Amino acid sequence: MLLWKDLRTLVRTPALLVVLLAYPLLIAALLGLVAGYASSKPRVAFVDEDGLPAYIVVGTHRFDVTKTIDEVARNVRLVRLGADEAARELADGKVVAVVTVPPGFVATLQQMVESPTLELSVTRGGTSGRVRQQVQALVYDLNRKLQRAYIDANLKYVQLILHGGDGSFLGQSFDVLGLDGTERELRALPQNARVQRIEDFVHDARRALARTDDALRATAAPIQLQELPQRGRTASLSAQVQAYALGLTITFLALVLAAGALAGERDENVLGRLARGLVSPGRLVAAKVALAALLATVLGFAVALAFAVVIVLGNAPGGEPWSRLPLLAAGLALAGAALGGVGALVGALARESRTASLVAVLLVLPMVFLGLIPAEVFAAAGWASDALPFAHGVRLFSAILFDLHPWGAIAREAAWLVGLTVVFSLAARAAVRPFRP
Amino acid sequence: MTLLSARGVARRFGSRTALHPTDVALAAGEAVALVGPNGAGKSTLLSILAGALEPSEGVVERPPRVGWVPQRAAHYGRLTALENLALFASLEGVPRARAEELAAEFELPADTRAASLSVGNRQRLDVALALLGSPEVLLLDEPTASLDPAQRERVWTIARDVADGGGAVLVATHHWEELEGLADRTLELSHGRLL
Repeated sequence: MLLWKDLRTLVRTPALLVVLLAYPLLIAALLGLVAGYASSKPRVAFVDEDGLPAYIVVGTHRFDVTKTIDEVARNVRLVRLGADEAARELADGKVVAVVTVPPGFVATLQQMVESPTLELSVTRGGTSGRVRQQVQALVYDLNRKLQRAYIDANLKYVQLILHGGDGSFLGQSFDVLGLDGTERELRALPQNARVQRIEDFVHDARRALARTDDALRATAAPIQLQELPQRGRTASLSAQVQAYALGLTITFLALVLAAGALAGERDENVLGRLARGLVSPGRLVAAKVALAALLATVLGFAVALAFAVVIVLGNAPGGEPWSRLPLLAAGLALAGAALGGVGALVGALARESRTASLVAVLLVLPMVFLGLIPAEVFAAAGWASDALPFAHGVRLFSAILFDLHPWGAIAREAAWLVGLTVVFSLAARAAVRPFRP
Repeated sequence: MTLLSARGVARRFGSRTALHPTDVALAAGEAVALVGPNGAGKSTLLSILAGALEPSEGVVERPPRVGWVPQRAAHYGRLTALENLALFASLEGVPRARAEELAAEFELPADTRAASLSVGNRQRLDVALALLGSPEVLLLDEPTASLDPAQRERVWTIARDVADGGGAVLVATHHWEELEGLADRTLELSHGRLL
């Protein structure tokens, strides 16, 4: 009966219902944008202490420096700065790394005798590993560009050895007879066993050197990575986004509703009437937890269906796991109940429903962000997140919808949610304040 | 025959004592007036007798059916008067027909949410709620504060009917004059003590 009363009360405040549904979806969209920004290109300072020319010639290849850098800097945004300015911006965190081209870089590169060096300074903190990987990727792409020039230059020397001609190395010019010329000279000599042995060697050497092109390329890149066409869902329709959108929606909904509904009993001055043997505090809390679970299931399922429709209409690869949706409903109910327990505790501790609702709203975002922080980055956040329902709900939804073998994760997260429901409901039961005339 | 008795009931809120140890007994057929100034402890005593508030000490023995009208409106504002009556009828195990009967008897608007009712109508709704279970003991806490003279007269008639029917009535008020001709006896409470 209390659940019926709460539902009827809610239906009679449609504006509240709309806000309760629209607000978390808006927050989910904003979080998506923030997440997109977080994964955008980091700003990396580029310090040129060598005075890079507009073009660099390496072997027989001519490189447009600016164009080449733009092509290889796909994962970072390079900004040209002076050394002092770059150091200051790195210290301030305005750039996440500084790549320095030291003096003599181009000369060393063009000599093609030893590898020139780029210097990298990376900011401290949790993102340094990711930044280092992205700059390494930049250098990797640059090396791939230069690889052909190096190989072609080396092949030019091989061609000299094969066919002879004029060449130069480290600024010294020379004339090479080559294997072709050697063969001609040998044919002009009186034939005997020793000359024949030399002719055989020249023949073998010519055959071997003819394969140098492929061998050099294989040596430069023993393993090549071939990128296959993308077949999965887009990031905006990914399993993670769907699980977080569901989690955020029902967290806001269940927490605020349960808190407001329980505190509302005090506002209506009916606690005394209910306390007269009609409804125990435990039953009162259970009604609010049931309300949160029911609405989390209904509205969470509606959000999941909306995702499914978008996925079907958009013909997203992989389709929607329709057969898992009934299980998702059960997961939504479990998560809604646990969140309802937290909300009931807030409602029991607050003196009035406005305070309860405000506190519940203020609790939602910290709870969500705690669930977003990877435990590897900040262990305490992981522990705190484990003690709250949001992260368990998200992991449960993700396992239900997308794991190939979900039962282990489902059992673990469901057990967590049941445990949290019991703990928070008991705490709320103990915190329900008696009627005060 | 004693229908309700309280022995040594007291109530403290933190360090403040709202009601010192008090003995009260209500016999069948009597209507008792509980008078005293604001803050004397009348509402606290009635809440304890009604079972809405646990006493800090002491014992209350009460019959199964006790009706209680609290001083401040105590019903759901977003439900109509009939829905409130039906809800509490369900919780008390009373047939819905009784709720409809009381709604008609008290001429409560059927489709208007309780929060939109006049103060007088909300007070009448609370009286109707107290009568849902056909109580043997009726506890009224300032039940006529917002009622016009005709409605006051009607509430006193109802209270008298309960007493005359073998029940007991305890009415808290700080208006002595209203209870002349109704109360069989008067209890006076001051600073949490019965005088």
